[in-house]
Amino acid sequence: MATISDIAEGKQPPFERIVADHGALITRIAMSYEADPALREDLTQQILLAVWQALPSYRADASLKTFIARIAQNRSISFVAKQVRQPPTAEIPDKLEADDPNPEESAIDASERRALLEATRRLPVPQREVIVLVLEGFSYAEISDMLSIAPNALALRLSRAKAALKAMLEQRR
Amino acid sequence: MTDFDLERLGDMWRQEPDPAEMAALRRTAETVARRARRDQFTDSALAVIVSAIVLVLALTNPNPETLMVGGAAIALMLYSSIRQRHFRKLELKSLAGSTEEMIDQSIARIEATVKRTRLGLIGSVPAMIIGIGFGAVLDRGAGSGLLARFAAEPWLPIIVALAGIAIVSASFVHYARAIRRDRNELERLVALREAFKQESESSFS
Repeated sequence: MATISDIAEGKQPPFERIVADHGALITRIAMSYEADPALREDLTQQILLAVWQALPSYRADASLKTFIARIAQNRSISFVAKQVRQPPTAEIPDKLEADDPNPEESAIDASERRALLEATRRLPVPQREVIVLVLEGFSYAEISDMLSIAPNALALRLSRAKAALKAMLEQRR
Repeated sequence: MTDFDLERLGDMWRQEPDPAEMAALRRTAETVARRARRDQFTDSALAVIVSAIVLVLALTNPNPETLMVGGAAIALMLYSSIRQRHFRKLELKSLAGSTEEMIDQSIARIEATVKRTRLGLIGSVPAMIIGIGFGAVLDRGAGSGLLARFAAEPWLPIIVALAGIAIVSASFVHYARAIRRDRNELERLVALREAFKQESESSFS
């Protein structure tokens, strides 16, 4: 993973390494905004292109992960605004179960992941962007900074998002 | 739901994706990077080619007209390149900023585009009439007899009129579609901005 000192010294990590380090984050963010696989491929390309173009302007005042997550979220939101929305469909590529030592447990896990993803997609965008960043493991301070909102406003928005997510997940059970 | 639950959901959420999916992402990234590098190269190559052509033309045929046309070509190329870079810079800046800023900038951009397209739609017919009139005046001035040919061949004005109607109709359809698409996007963006506004207002009420 690229270190802050690398970037501070002007050594941009190669794009390929950024994709290897943060590709999963980009994929998950794209998935949380676009259910249709063909459109998601298009969205992923747009995110990668935006990251590629924005990299020269990246300064190490925030982590690279934060920078990429911000671009991915904003590109996804503008992509969603461009599309005539279709109802979200249940689609998520799960891990293949063939080489899994415990297929039953894995199936439950995959089903839970699918439910979580579907519920996240149904959240209103302001709540969705918060919950996605929390699920991605960003701290509240980082999220507050990324979204330019006060910590108490973030706490309230997150609390509403959690309540909505909980209701949707319980409804599925 | 407790924070503990959210932590558990986070662990599940962040599970490494399927290796096949990551391999597909790497391939997509390679394609995107290759295309972006190719576009950069094409832009530079085009600039070099246009400049070289202008230079050769200016050297082989040094008259004010050549210099004027060549200068205009280079100026147009520079203008389009600077404008493109400026818009890309603005877009990237808004992508790296807050969501609400990005939405506001997108709304401003689309509103400007709708205005431009509407002007294009309104102006296309007068522009065509003015263009034809200007062409006729030039033709008469040059004495090339295009108007006389029009008078001599009765089918020629009909073909030209039909072609004109086809071009104007196609432009109308194109502009109308572009306006409708932009308006739809604008509506969705305004709704999104409203959703963010309501979310912020309810945080402080």
